[in-house]
Amino acid sequence: MPTKSKEPSGPDLSTLLEGLIEADIKFILVGGLAAVIQGAPVTTMDVDIVHSQSPENISKLFVFLKSMGAFYRRMDDRVIEPNREDLEGKGHALFATRLGPLDVLAVIEEGKAYNDLLEHTIKIEFRGHAVRVLGLKTLVQLKQMSKDLKDKQRLPVLKETLRQLNDYEM
Amino acid sequence: MGKGDPMSKKMKPKNLSDVDKGLVAMFLKMSIEERLRANDNAARTIWELRNAYKKQRTIRPGSKHTA
Repeated sequence: MPTKSKEPSGPDLSTLLEGLIEADIKFILVGGLAAVIQGAPVTTMDVDIVHSQSPENISKLFVFLKSMGAFYRRMDDRVIEPNREDLEGKGHALFATRLGPLDVLAVIEEGKAYNDLLEHTIKIEFRGHAVRVLGLKTLVQLKQMSKDLKDKQRLPVLKETLRQLNDYEM
Repeated sequence: MGKGDPMSKKMKPKNLSDVDKGLVAMFLKMSIEERLRANDNAARTIWELRNAYKKQRTIRPGSKHTA
């Protein structure tokens, strides 16, 4: 049985993100790291993704999680490894990996899934790869509806970032 | 203390509910790689500090190492 001694010497979210891309997984980067990439001066401790739930993509994601020594983040010390069914469902699967926490989300606010969000993404170039990121405008719109305290606290910074970004583009 | 009000006109107290617009502008000037690196460094620092705090909390009360 795996143990939590697999914990890294600290998170390396950029490398975790790169690993997802190199594993050819179809996903949209959402949450704090999506905001960071678009210039918001916030700090996040995890990678949040909404994944495509095609069987092929689920398989790739499952293999990737295994290779990262992923296990479910829990309040107790039980080590539970990922299972395919959770990746196929409609919930949130929150993992610890050797490169840092990874949240695999089937849907986000308003029940929006990968295919619903695609049109609201931007493609960015990261270490020679293209990665889909949920646009800051949509992030702000979704966070406005969120009841999460962390989202509410972050919202003014995201709005100001969006305002300055729009000024740049005008 | 020097002469006059220590809180000069140049040093207005910062309203903590305000967004630091200069910080936003600074981050927008960075490349994507730089933004991610800044977050990684911050996350790693927080992680290390939390670990240090946790370690300090587990030191027996009365030990010389407790604050």
